[in-house]
Amino acid sequence: MSFTRRELLERCAAFSAITLSTSIPLSSLAYAWDEAEKKLPTPTCELGPFYKRQAPNTSVLRAPGDGGMPLALSGTIYDVRGEVVPDATLEIWQTDNLGHYDIDGYRYRTILEPGGKAGYAIETVMPGHYPQRVCQHVHYLVTAPGHKPLITQMYFATDPVFDGNPDKNYTRDPLLTSRELVRPVMIKGEAKQITAVVNFDLVMATL
Amino acid sequence: MKRALSLVAVLLTSSAIAAVGSPAVKVPLPCESPYQMLSPTGAQALVLCKDESVHLVNLPDGSERLLFPAERRTNGLAFSQDGKWLAAGFHDGMVELLPTQGATAARQWKADSNRIDQLYFFADGKKLFVSAMNHPGTIWELTETPSLRATLPDKFGGVASVAVSPDGKLLVAGGGDTVVRWYDTTTWQMSREYDGFLLDTFALVFTPDGKYLLAGGADSRITVFDVASGKQLRQLPPQAGASIGDIDFLSDHSEALTEYFDNAGEKPPYRLAWNLKTDISKPVQIDFRPTCGAVVEGKLWLCNTDGRTLTITKQQ
Repeated sequence: MSFTRRELLERCAAFSAITLSTSIPLSSLAYAWDEAEKKLPTPTCELGPFYKRQAPNTSVLRAPGDGGMPLALSGTIYDVRGEVVPDATLEIWQTDNLGHYDIDGYRYRTILEPGGKAGYAIETVMPGHYPQRVCQHVHYLVTAPGHKPLITQMYFATDPVFDGNPDKNYTRDPLLTSRELVRPVMIKGEAKQITAVVNFDLVMATL
Repeated sequence: MKRALSLVAVLLTSSAIAAVGSPAVKVPLPCESPYQMLSPTGAQALVLCKDESVHLVNLPDGSERLLFPAERRTNGLAFSQDGKWLAAGFHDGMVELLPTQGATAARQWKADSNRIDQLYFFADGKKLFVSAMNHPGTIWELTETPSLRATLPDKFGGVASVAVSPDGKLLVAGGGDTVVRWYDTTTWQMSREYDGFLLDTFALVFTPDGKYLLAGGADSRITVFDVASGKQLRQLPPQAGASIGDIDFLSDHSEALTEYFDNAGEKPPYRLAWNLKTDISKPVQIDFRPTCGAVVEGKLWLCNTDGRTLTITKQQ
């Protein structure tokens, strides 16, 4: 069971779990809370030419022996009120570490249903540079009832294209629509077993 | 822009497989230009400059006028079939309709909130199909104040390709969601939906007699549909590692001239002429990399550039 903020405030007030020490009405408090948590929709990008329907449901895209730096990619799907979207479907696809999309099969493609907490986590590899694009990127398509489909791409702050300064240089990729889509990359693990770790939350606009 | 131009780019006949071009026409350009677009009459060329400004050049004298400076961020261009009108789409969702000759005032309007990707004139020049990034396609009546006639819904991803039947009664759109939808252009109701493709369709074309629809895309093969029934008739052999970017016909309507691009993005595009009676293809050999192409009065015109000179070869 989940509650909206307003419902939560009302229930807490009803059971005296909170004491309102001001004369501010409950509705105003709920509104203020909502405003504080409000999120802007994730900027959109184009779908790209190599979207493929009916990808498998898997959180492990990397196979043993695959080249490229392992990448742990995770995040949570929110709506613009800051609530999680529990019934979202998430499709992710990318190139392999050499910059090749799998058109014939479904390597580095997945469909996930994150469920109640709207969180996702996949194990993949850092994508290569597709020759017709400037930057490394990962494609996302998120759909959910009552929300606009979200089509976007995630980029890596470590991409050599940015010369270490994505704030200044993110426009070098003409298809990169917002600095917000460039995510920091954490490196974790031992020297021989390092993994790149990236968090990318998504915010869906309501219909 | 590159895609918009490439989609109309290079059409080749079977006779052009070993074709020899007629004496070339050389035209001065206002800039260095990686891509151009020829008008259907061959009277003009749109020139995309390296700085991303767009110029309209009269052929063959090369007189020109700047249409859109780079700051306008032009992203889609289309000539009307009589060559008298030009439509341009921009990153800010604006569309501009302007005459290619004379001083008639341009019409412009906000067609979408997203970047305009594709424009397509109906044969009568009175309607314009507009598609914007990730948004449903729209049909605009080109009256004094252009008005929205219809919106063509999809699940997501907008429109990747569009074609109108020769009799104008049917519009077919390949969605970014991989579904091909058929619309009655009188009611704008969807009459059929084909969801047999798992990948996007980048090229749709009706045979000139209107009996068949050819579709091609990331699955690298031409699929032939019977227009009357909507049924898929057959698929031509695929080309490994390539996607279809364009299909068209010249005067010999039995051959589908098909442009393929390398999925890995490493090799230049190539072309095959598919005989639709035998389903056998022949490679089309060109000894240069065309920067534009169009069928003008039944013949293929191809361009290439050298610095600020555009060379147009009319294929025999």
